[in-house]
Amino acid sequence: MNYVGTLMYSMLVGLATTIEIFLLTLVLSIPLGIVVALARLSKIQFINLTAQFYIWIMRGTPLLLQLIFIFFGLPLIGLTFDRLTAAILAFVLNYCAYFGEIFRSGIQSIDNAQYEAAEVLGLTPVKTFLRIILPQAIKRILPAISNEVITLIKDTSLVYVVGIGELLRAGKIASNRDATLLPLFVVGLFYLILTAVLTKTFKGFEEKFSYYR
Amino acid sequence: MKNKFRILITLIATFILAAFILSGCSAKSANSKDGYSEIKDKGFIVVGLDDTFAPMGFRDEKGEVVGFDVDLAKEVFKRNNLEVKFQPIDWSMKETELNTGNIDAIWNGYTITDERKEKVAFTNPYLENRQVIITLANSSIKSKKDLKDKIVAAQNESSSVDAMNKEPEVVSSLKNGEIIVLDTNNEAFMDLEAGRIDAVVADEILARYYISQRGVEKYAVLEDDFGKEEYGIGIRKTDKELLAAIEKALDEMRKDGTAAEISKKWFGDNIIR
Repeated sequence: MNYVGTLMYSMLVGLATTIEIFLLTLVLSIPLGIVVALARLSKIQFINLTAQFYIWIMRGTPLLLQLIFIFFGLPLIGLTFDRLTAAILAFVLNYCAYFGEIFRSGIQSIDNAQYEAAEVLGLTPVKTFLRIILPQAIKRILPAISNEVITLIKDTSLVYVVGIGELLRAGKIASNRDATLLPLFVVGLFYLILTAVLTKTFKGFEEKFSYYR
Repeated sequence: MKNKFRILITLIATFILAAFILSGCSAKSANSKDGYSEIKDKGFIVVGLDDTFAPMGFRDEKGEVVGFDVDLAKEVFKRNNLEVKFQPIDWSMKETELNTGNIDAIWNGYTITDERKEKVAFTNPYLENRQVIITLANSSIKSKKDLKDKIVAAQNESSSVDAMNKEPEVVSSLKNGEIIVLDTNNEAFMDLEAGRIDAVVADEILARYYISQRGVEKYAVLEDDFGKEEYGIGIRKTDKELLAAIEKALDEMRKDGTAAEISKKWFGDNIIR
């Protein structure tokens, strides 16, 4: 037990980085995901095809590869980012594509009559989308979003490839230093706690959004 | 349909073209000027290391980067009035990190090999090492010959793998004719204890550290090895002044006994050369 205590400092430092990457990615990629969904649904051929192409690239290649490409590949054409910026950029670009598709499914699931009713009531298209369509869509896609968010917290461990130390790496360092598996169990425990918190939060959201039921 | 197919072909062609352009650029960026004056102006040098690599460079319980190479690097650059920033990197990306300028030196039990010499400039060796074969104490493997049809593991992208590949007849005699590569040496040792592999090939210095951590009585180190090798410090080929400065400081430290002191602190013995 004493040994686990000695691990705590580096684990908590790692945990802070994990949470930082997680929150930044989430805050940036969810709103941008709505934009991607709208682009994907656009009737303008160019925008629609660009969105499809973007989603194909982001979902079609491993996130690890995208991280390596952004951090090590782009400097070759003169675009240099520091480690954290590169990591956030890769995560946001990747998660936007997934969130975009989730939002699209939600928006498309809303009945056409809703649009017609909004038009009859004299709402502008922007208001119709923000006040009528989007809230109903979010209600339906919450479980899918929560799936993606839980995946994100674990995907943050991929940033080791650009040399950022996070929770899992802290565990690996301690495991290699002391030649024992125990630190990795502790890391697992941390991830479980994080996931439990997220699950509970989303359960709360779902209940909040379950009006009219 | 035909049209869509054509778009796909165009896209793939664009990717391949982009890859060619990128590889062309990387060759160019390696030919830039000597970076030592720039480092001097900044006042600090960035040393890249795998911070999971005990005892050469790793983190203690407070999260501080420590280790034999870390102490050595601090002393060398102190003598050149430079501060050292240790940047953790993914070990399989080390040469890319160096040549894109994210780090200025690779200093972390970095073995001098011919393949690596093509990409980086090495200092004179400061430590000698053997690639040893480690088995469990009760293993029937007593020599390299006994490795036939056995499962052998080593760390991915490490010089242990290179050293084994220099003896292709041994590698092809292994089970399935391949070496099992794992992410860290610690995983290799755990795999050995779990009985899924029969032997680990690793740097002797590293191996002795793990054996002392996990229990000396559990393991055997064979007399046969996969050759001797040397650790050096890797820097960009263009940074000739930096190379000279490191060499000079290391030489001084060999003479005035500082190097021996650091060696004794970590290995209990002076193994610097």
